[in-house]
Amino acid sequence: MRKHSGILLALPAWLWLVCFFVVPVAIVVVFSFGEKPDIFSTHSLEHLSFDRYAEVFTPAFFTTFLNTLWIGLAGTAICLVIGMPVAYWMAVKVRPERRGLLVALVMVPFWTNFLVRTIGWQILLAPEGWLSTLAQGIGLPAFEILNTRQAVLLGVVYNYLPLMILPLFVAFDRVSGPLREASADLGAPKWTTFFRITLPLAQPGIIAGVLLVYIPLMGDYITATVLGGAKGNMVGQLVAGQFQTALNWSLGSAMAVVLIGIILVSVAIGAGIVWLVTLPARNRNRLVLGPAEPAAARSVTVPAVVEGAGA
Amino acid sequence: MSRPSTRSLSDRAFGVWGVLVLIFLFLPIAVVIASSFNVGRLLVSWDHFGFDSFLALFLKPAVRDAVLVSVWTGLIAALVATLLGALAGLAMARHPGRWQLWLLGLLLLVSVTPEIVDAVSLLPWMVTLGQDAGIAVFNDGIVRLVIGHSLFSVAVVAYLVRARLVGLDAKLEEASADLYATPVTTFRRVTLPLAMPAVLAGFLLSFTLSLDNTVIAAFVSVSGSTPWPVYVLSALRSGLRPEIAAVSTIMLVLTLAALALVAYVLKRAGDSAADIARTMSGG
Repeated sequence: MRKHSGILLALPAWLWLVCFFVVPVAIVVVFSFGEKPDIFSTHSLEHLSFDRYAEVFTPAFFTTFLNTLWIGLAGTAICLVIGMPVAYWMAVKVRPERRGLLVALVMVPFWTNFLVRTIGWQILLAPEGWLSTLAQGIGLPAFEILNTRQAVLLGVVYNYLPLMILPLFVAFDRVSGPLREASADLGAPKWTTFFRITLPLAQPGIIAGVLLVYIPLMGDYITATVLGGAKGNMVGQLVAGQFQTALNWSLGSAMAVVLIGIILVSVAIGAGIVWLVTLPARNRNRLVLGPAEPAAARSVTVPAVVEGAGA
Repeated sequence: MSRPSTRSLSDRAFGVWGVLVLIFLFLPIAVVIASSFNVGRLLVSWDHFGFDSFLALFLKPAVRDAVLVSVWTGLIAALVATLLGALAGLAMARHPGRWQLWLLGLLLLVSVTPEIVDAVSLLPWMVTLGQDAGIAVFNDGIVRLVIGHSLFSVAVVAYLVRARLVGLDAKLEEASADLYATPVTTFRRVTLPLAMPAVLAGFLLSFTLSLDNTVIAAFVSVSGSTPWPVYVLSALRSGLRPEIAAVSTIMLVLTLAALALVAYVLKRAGDSAADIARTMSGG
């Protein structure tokens, strides 16, 4: 095989992505150091400074960043809490021949147009909408949830839930039944089996699910536009507004860069917390080679089990 | 496995929760589908039942054009993404080297960057290329949309094809070479058929991703070639009419048909429900 054929095959994709992803994003980073010189031009790079970043961190804009972070964290947590039992149910409790159907059912909403399903919620939640009419029919007050932060939270939980359920399902599906049965046979209660066997083995899937939900959620623009009104502002709308209506590309670029920064930093902090929290568990579950001490003999040898299950 | 006749309380609780969440997931979709049979001026208030709003697809040129732009863009973007992604995936699986890390890093970066960042970056870039540099092709609406929609899809197809080929033995290709097949013949008769399920799945996924794309499309599209989601987004400001729901229902059926085809292709290639779930949620 020729030495360079790999690079040649990958070259078109590489060039395409450099041309239409790397270069434009790099330009936006450069824009973020510029300014808006007058009302007619979108940006100018004559005086480079960090002023736009200072502007982003003023309360007028930074409140929206904090709001977005709150929705991102709360939305991801709620998705995890709602999605985990569903994924576990699909992977473990349901009869195998029905799993394909359930996976398909979770995918249908995921592949329905994002904007359209959000509009579905707008129809449902509107003051003159279906849920409100229903509530008034049984004597409750009319709905006033639309255009609030709660509506945005509901919307993002709904929109990203399939992205949590699917990787969790894959993760739980990989934890083989015999392994859990062995744990039960050795006298472990159900919860012990779940926390000591299933959960540690499903950890990569849980991390994948959290990232798949959290990262796009933080950049979400549609949900807040459709359901949030003025109070449910998210950074996505802020950035879009600077590019489309305010025509201040430098400020919009700085906002986009800060958004990516916040996502990266929060993911890093999250990773650090997970690492610290699982530290005792990892030490306890360490595979001990050589003469077994009494304490080590009791421990579950998860690393060895992972390799056994993966083979 | 527990005996099916004596289900424990916790098993039942799981079942109830699962069904409730599925109902939650289908609620707004059911509402949109139901609303498409609404004959009235506004989407949110129900007037009476009828099929009138489906006729908008034929009677309103703006609606019809938007759908056609979406479908065309979807097909072209899927072709571009499949071609580029499949070659990249093949290269990573069969000719690995140190360069591979760079490509994987780039693909990862593409797939984790929020769509809104892609969108606001492409807008000035298209203006620079099309108007400042005078390359006319970048002023074309369809070209802009295809570029924007293909970015994420290239990464998806590359992951899919790479995963499929890594899972299959390279000895098959070596055997073909040992039997004096030329590299082209080996590619055509051995590698391509092996990779085909992933390539097809990648094509169809790219197509649906493109049909779905709203954010990038809203930024790069030019008037005259507005794709369907951008049409809906602008209708959001001017007032939603039942035809939005009706055409969305048609688009949903189209998407589901494409996805059913993906599942069928993958299933025939021997994937389990979990494999299909992994593929469809983007690797």
